Amino acid sequence: MFLWGYWVMGLKNVKLVAIFIGLLLSMGNVFAADAGVATAKQVVDKFQSELIAVMKNGKQLGFTGRYDKLHDSVTNSHDLNKIARIVVGKEWEKLSEAQQKKLVEVFSRLSIASYAHNFKEYGGESFTIDSEEETTRGGVVVYAHLSIPNDKDVKFEYHLKETDKSWRIINIVANGVSDLALKRSEYTSVLQREGFDTLIAKINEKIDNYSKL
Amino acid sequence: MNKLHSKRLNTSLAVLIGALSLGGCATTAVEHQTIASKADPYENVNRNIFTFNDAVDGYVAKPISDTYKWVTPQFVQTGIFNFFNNLKNVDVIINDVLQAKFAQSAEDTGRLIVNSTIGLGGLVDVAKDVGLKQNDEDFEQTLAVWGVPQGPYLVLPLLGPTTARGIPGAILDTAANPASYVGAPIQLVSLLNTRANAQSSLDFVKEGALDPYVFIREGYLQTRDHLASDGKSQAALDVDNELDDNKVSFANDKKVVANNDSAASNKANYTLRLSSAEQTAGTFNGVTRSFDETTKSFENANNKIDELAKQRNSNKLKKVK
Repeated sequence: MFLWGYWVMGLKNVKLVAIFIGLLLSMGNVFAADAGVATAKQVVDKFQSELIAVMKNGKQLGFTGRYDKLHDSVTNSHDLNKIARIVVGKEWEKLSEAQQKKLVEVFSRLSIASYAHNFKEYGGESFTIDSEEETTRGGVVVYAHLSIPNDKDVKFEYHLKETDKSWRIINIVANGVSDLALKRSEYTSVLQREGFDTLIAKINEKIDNYSKL
Repeated sequence: MNKLHSKRLNTSLAVLIGALSLGGCATTAVEHQTIASKADPYENVNRNIFTFNDAVDGYVAKPISDTYKWVTPQFVQTGIFNFFNNLKNVDVIINDVLQAKFAQSAEDTGRLIVNSTIGLGGLVDVAKDVGLKQNDEDFEQTLAVWGVPQGPYLVLPLLGPTTARGIPGAILDTAANPASYVGAPIQLVSLLNTRANAQSSLDFVKEGALDPYVFIREGYLQTRDHLASDGKSQAALDVDNELDDNKVSFANDKKVVANNDSAASNKANYTLRLSSAEQTAGTFNGVTRSFDETTKSFENANNKIDELAKQRNSNKLKKVK
């Protein structure tokens, strides 16, 4: 009898301890959320699920609806300022402050518009995060893949850097093709061959086309 | 030109670019001024051929391919794709062996046998359902593994983007593909099918590229590099260095930096502004060199395969340890 009581007591203690640990953990989570420190993986995960959500409602939303929904998703997960700066390479320094501002502005709009255009419908695709790796210079690479029904998987690498205490995507490598490297070749080429105004005009033309397609 | 062909429609950028048989999409007429790009010393000539290919594609290939897509039911298109894709496995298996990827060659042989028999001569891709993934190997990749340098980027009339190393590679691929030995009508179907499958990729380029020529060049070179290194080689762009460069330059006197830069780029333009004839001559030299290197490397093929096999084994042992 005594022993039985002891056992029940023990069980209660175990339960209490479990609850206490649970509480601690959840508090920990609350604190983490308060501080707003999402890990690189969480940033990618959140962005991918928001993208899938937009794809699922793609048709009803229309281009403008998708653009509006993705605006925050993209700007919160990507470091568009830095990306815009890198894609023009050394040409950045030759631009006036007003031109730099203009470039960042239209580049950001183009980035969101191209997501809104390319992820407009859902056909059973799903993103899976495979692993993550720290780079030697303080960055993080998140490896993921997109599964497309009846097609080959597309492998993604998200390169993230920490800016103002939050992790932001700075480059996406899809099946070995670096978006940043590709864009940089294009943007520097247009800048050198045709100048800043043509570059901005071309970007605006692309945004306009995306909204009509 | 097997390597330049094939590959399925895909929603993402990436793989698409390697698939272009004709680098097609509208280019705006721009002043032909040479921009220094290490991989593309013949940009002027290449851009002209690109524009030509684009016009041919728009006037000839696209209308025919659109008609083909319109009259051919989807299941027939898939069957045709699978048929040619299956024949390509012969080429893949040869190159697996030449790169000492013996396990992979067994897998690809299994793929070829399963699809050629149960898959009704390759019309149905049964192997995919069984879980045998398709590997992508060709002679250009083998030459890369053997250490033959890539050489300059080239755009060939009607055939599209390649490199100096890609030309002997593509000739060997064609020779190793059974589809090359069938009659002209079947070849035509293969061509049509390839062009039809590339449509979504071409649309993607047309919609997204600010400079389609550069977009296709970069995409092509990166994709080839990725395939040759089996995904180990990364697109060479060090984000940190880029940012550091910018910061350093900011600290300097802006004007001085800008002047230096423009002087340097003027010099580069001057030295690179060769006449078209000179560029074409250079291109031929590059390709001839590539053929020489290819012949040389085949003379040592046996040793190379042995060496590669040893390397692979020692890598495996290291991993186990």
